[in-house]
Amino acid sequence: MDIASGLLHGFAVALQPSNVFWCFVGCLLGTVVGIMPGLGPAATIALLLPLTFKMDPAGGIIMLAGIYYGAKYGGSTTSILLNIPGESSSVVTCIDGYQMARKGRAGAALGIAAIASFIAGSVGVIGLTLIAPPVAAFALSFSSPEYFALMCLGLALVVLLSGTSLIKGLLALLLGLWLTSIGTDLFTAQARFIFGQATLLGGIDFMVVAIGVFAIGEVMGSIEAGEEARMLPVPRGIRNLLPNWEELRACRFAFLNGSVTGFLVGCLPGGGATISSFIAYGIEKAVSKHPEQFGKGAPEGVAAPEGANNADTGGALVPLLTLGIPSGGSTAIMLSALVLWGVKPGPLMMTESPDVFWGLVASMYIGNVVLLILNLPLVPLFAQILRLPLYVLFPVIFGISIVGAYGASGRIFDLGLLVGFGLLGYAMSKLKYPSAPLILGFVLGDAMERALRQSLMMSQGDLSALVRRPISAIMLALAVVILLIPLFGWFNRLRVRAVTENG
Amino acid sequence: MKNINRRDLLGGAACALAATSAGPAFAQFKPSRPIEFVVHGGPGSGNDVFARALTTIIDQEKLSPVRIQVVNKPGGGSTTAAAYVVSKKNDPHVIACFTNIWLIDPMVQEAATNRMQDMSPIARLVVEPALVVVRADSPIKTLKDFIDAAKAKPGALKMSGGSITSRENTVRQLLTQLTGARWAFISFPSGGERIAALLGGHVDLMIVDPSEAGEQVRAGKLRVIAQVNDRRLPGFPDIPTIKESGFDIPNVPQMRGVVGAPGMSAETIAYYEDLFLKASKTAGWQKFLNESQLDGEFVKAAELKAFLTKFEGELREILKAAGAKIVR
Repeated sequence: MDIASGLLHGFAVALQPSNVFWCFVGCLLGTVVGIMPGLGPAATIALLLPLTFKMDPAGGIIMLAGIYYGAKYGGSTTSILLNIPGESSSVVTCIDGYQMARKGRAGAALGIAAIASFIAGSVGVIGLTLIAPPVAAFALSFSSPEYFALMCLGLALVVLLSGTSLIKGLLALLLGLWLTSIGTDLFTAQARFIFGQATLLGGIDFMVVAIGVFAIGEVMGSIEAGEEARMLPVPRGIRNLLPNWEELRACRFAFLNGSVTGFLVGCLPGGGATISSFIAYGIEKAVSKHPEQFGKGAPEGVAAPEGANNADTGGALVPLLTLGIPSGGSTAIMLSALVLWGVKPGPLMMTESPDVFWGLVASMYIGNVVLLILNLPLVPLFAQILRLPLYVLFPVIFGISIVGAYGASGRIFDLGLLVGFGLLGYAMSKLKYPSAPLILGFVLGDAMERALRQSLMMSQGDLSALVRRPISAIMLALAVVILLIPLFGWFNRLRVRAVTENG
Repeated sequence: MKNINRRDLLGGAACALAATSAGPAFAQFKPSRPIEFVVHGGPGSGNDVFARALTTIIDQEKLSPVRIQVVNKPGGGSTTAAAYVVSKKNDPHVIACFTNIWLIDPMVQEAATNRMQDMSPIARLVVEPALVVVRADSPIKTLKDFIDAAKAKPGALKMSGGSITSRENTVRQLLTQLTGARWAFISFPSGGERIAALLGGHVDLMIVDPSEAGEQVRAGKLRVIAQVNDRRLPGFPDIPTIKESGFDIPNVPQMRGVVGAPGMSAETIAYYEDLFLKASKTAGWQKFLNESQLDGEFVKAAELKAFLTKFEGELREILKAAGAKIVR
């Protein structure tokens, strides 16, 4: 079946009233799950799985996928309004989204997030429709040296994320790298830095770190700054609650960047939405004409990561649907769902179960429209939350943070950790340490260490294996260039000073 | 179909045994509140799916007078779940779904202090066979080819897998001890990454669940060269087991079963044994096993306990030889 007739067949399946209904249910559930920190799509899909056993496979997978990509739409809401990431892939959105909200542009930020999600989500599905087989081959060509180079490229972004002091950025990064190494080492099964605590054997949950450092740290800083009773500005009138033309124009490149980066990183079995959103944010800042605006409420800083984490969905479905390889928790459960329905996910699924494959692909075009329609009207409504006086809003943030951190793992121990990371976030903002590099180190450190050790085990200890492969060599070179950028600025200043002193 | 017959036979025999040995004891324990079924993975993990399928079948067949609620206690492999089960000592309403790592974690982790033998083993439900696979375009056609190639270039061939304590590595270690052939074991955190590394040609061999590899084999992307099981799987009648390939190593079963909180009375254990035996004979359970390509092998408490002690000793020696640090 060629692509055109396949897609046509897919729409015939997806537009059956019952499947449109399941698509809507999935998207709605996904949005709700995305908004609630601590409740993730993977857990939701797993809990709903037994209910779908009696469903037709096409309808079932359409609904489960709706939850998966719907959650990524919803994840930005609390990131922007409360500085609490709704999903781990929405952490980056906190950086500029929350600053936009503080400047009275909460509605605009939410609107941009929804539009970026729609554009990139659709681009991801188009990619899945048109170029899935070659992209899958590209994903398989990625070996450990390439993953290592990709993570290095990601870590080089610290230079761009660290604000005024590079040293402070690097220190925050090191702290993040150390925190992620806590727990059981995959290779040797040995515990590292657990201080005799069996609870730490599984490592520290990413959401606990992110919520603690961002949300709790921020609120404590604000309370101390004496903002007790002042409300955050929310402009009146529906027009002022949506992004204006200039903001949208500023995001033109970000929409494209988020779409492409998210899709490509998403298709790698060792990638993921959180990593792709960081990389899209870094690219956006690197090419921006006004990088100093980032971290202070740049609309592109919302559009790029939100786009990336949605395009990631289309990317992640490429290895799942063409090869039967899941690239993360949610796709792994969708895979087991397909097995339980009697569909055989794998290289032959596209030809043997065209209803499921093309029905799902077509439903995602519909789902993205449903989500845009579902989310845009909610924007003015959610923005009203910020009208709450701060003495109400701050306890609400604490409450949601605690529920979110507990919900992610269900362990009281994590609440203690949350308090610890909240204090850390507060101390860091007092001492003017940027928190984004810490989060970045935490996200990338584990994967980077793993990729390095895998590469060296494969090459029997030969370091040159890291640069002998073309893709990894190019990415490592790029990382070095990014790391050298501040040095160039320093040289320039020296030269200017020398010139002025001479003249 | 031969497989089903064997299962029926086994189930029937076990049932007859249950009726004679534990006869009147059944009536003495009846759960009075919902049963907690502890799982060491998060929602969606292999064990979670397994446990939820099992409880769904028990619900549908109305085998239990009370609800059986799956409780997820992820963290530190099995350690968080094991600690939780031990904290419910003498509570007859707490059971857990165990796998091999419940035995291994206390061996290699200083902080994992709760051994499974100190709890109340109830039954083993399944063993999971595995396949030894290579890429379809690989020159390696048999396990002997691979071993010979590894001997020719020590350390140059690679295999993808999980942690050092995984069953894949245990099998590798046993083969190395037997033949002297050496090859690298590269750890990947998820099954998807392991199989992608093999399909991408970055490693040469993998030991994998039939459910994960079956479709790749059918599509002609992977080739099966041996089976890790006592006998050939019905789906792969022409592929020799490792033993049949000429390598006489002990089979390392990957098992799943049910264990109860410490201090369970013999009557309570017998009650659960009977419950899961009934569940394991339902058509729904057989269908689930077939779809997930698991081998239903019901083993009762007494036999399981003896087996665990013996198996723990064997595993300890194998892991020691594989270079894992054994703490107890």
